[in-house]
Amino acid sequence: MFKPSALGIHYTKKGGPQLRVFLPNFWMKLVRPTHEQPPNMVQFSCSMEMTEYDIKNYLEKIYNIKCVDLKMSIAGPFTRKDPGKGYVVKDDDIKYAYVTLHKGQSFKFPDLFPEGESQAEENYNKSLKEAKQGFDNYLEKNKNRPNMPGWFTV
Amino acid sequence: MGLMTNFNKLGLIHKLLNNVTISSNNNIIYRRNIFASSTKFDLMEFFDDKKNWGAQEVKSGRSWNREELRLKSNGDLHKLYVLLKERNMLLTMEQEAKDQTRLFPSPERIDKVEDSMENLEAVVRERNIAYHQLETGETGERPSKVEIGRLGLKYNHRRDFNHVIGLLKRFPNMDMVALKEQYPDVDLERAKRSLKCRGHFVPK
Repeated sequence: MFKPSALGIHYTKKGGPQLRVFLPNFWMKLVRPTHEQPPNMVQFSCSMEMTEYDIKNYLEKIYNIKCVDLKMSIAGPFTRKDPGKGYVVKDDDIKYAYVTLHKGQSFKFPDLFPEGESQAEENYNKSLKEAKQGFDNYLEKNKNRPNMPGWFTV
Repeated sequence: MGLMTNFNKLGLIHKLLNNVTISSNNNIIYRRNIFASSTKFDLMEFFDDKKNWGAQEVKSGRSWNREELRLKSNGDLHKLYVLLKERNMLLTMEQEAKDQTRLFPSPERIDKVEDSMENLEAVVRERNIAYHQLETGETGERPSKVEIGRLGLKYNHRRDFNHVIGLLKRFPNMDMVALKEQYPDVDLERAKRSLKCRGHFVPK
């Protein structure tokens, strides 16, 4: 952050320390692999500006993940037609990094949306069902007197 | 406190308390403490806590504001930059929800984290400027000047160094005195030394 030479650090001299990044702005997402991969291979999508060295250092220093091998690819272009006007829109390209972990390690992408209904979802479905049932009852009750307001009773 | 609970979940920041100090003129100062303890390194750090998987809503608090961050030391600010990990985690969860065509719970968490990061960077920048002004009398920022454009809107006018290089490249025999007059901020000797202004011809 501060002027490094004031601290006796000279990045430009031979043998001096390398440039350090204290507050990086790169992002990385761990994504479900597009194709079937060996168990010790992990797929990331990352900032377009990242290089191989950046990715290796990022994983090593921030997440303490050692990568044995690293391959990168850029997926795209992704185009689609605008639903209303029909002109072509180009979405951002995606930079993927395929990281190979050590031989013994393995990683399986977890199932983040377990199948069983949660309590909240259950309550929601229950109340929806009740509302539908109530409306059906109301229609059934007023079947024989069309165009009459709901509050009108004999 | 919600963002804080997320940190607890990550196991990165153990405890974040709110301290309240009442100063002499009865102004209440709110402080939030950072205690970084056991750090967990794993690929599972890219995912949210298991109990939030498939949840409808994840509660979270507000973002960090500049006043709070100004009270923190540089080391503490660096510790708080686990916000980066938090953002990666949220982006991963969002992407997976998108791929599975499911709803991503509480998407405002990403905005809060990004807001915090922006504020943190602003505070670091403030300190950097203060240090530079103390040591060198300059801000240490890239030189610029606020000017009013043709439409009456203000914009930050950057130094014309690269533009001068372009001019030198296209017109190597131009009047240097006039150039110096028009762009007084630019160091012409330095611009001439630049490889970019040489042009695609054999130099004399």
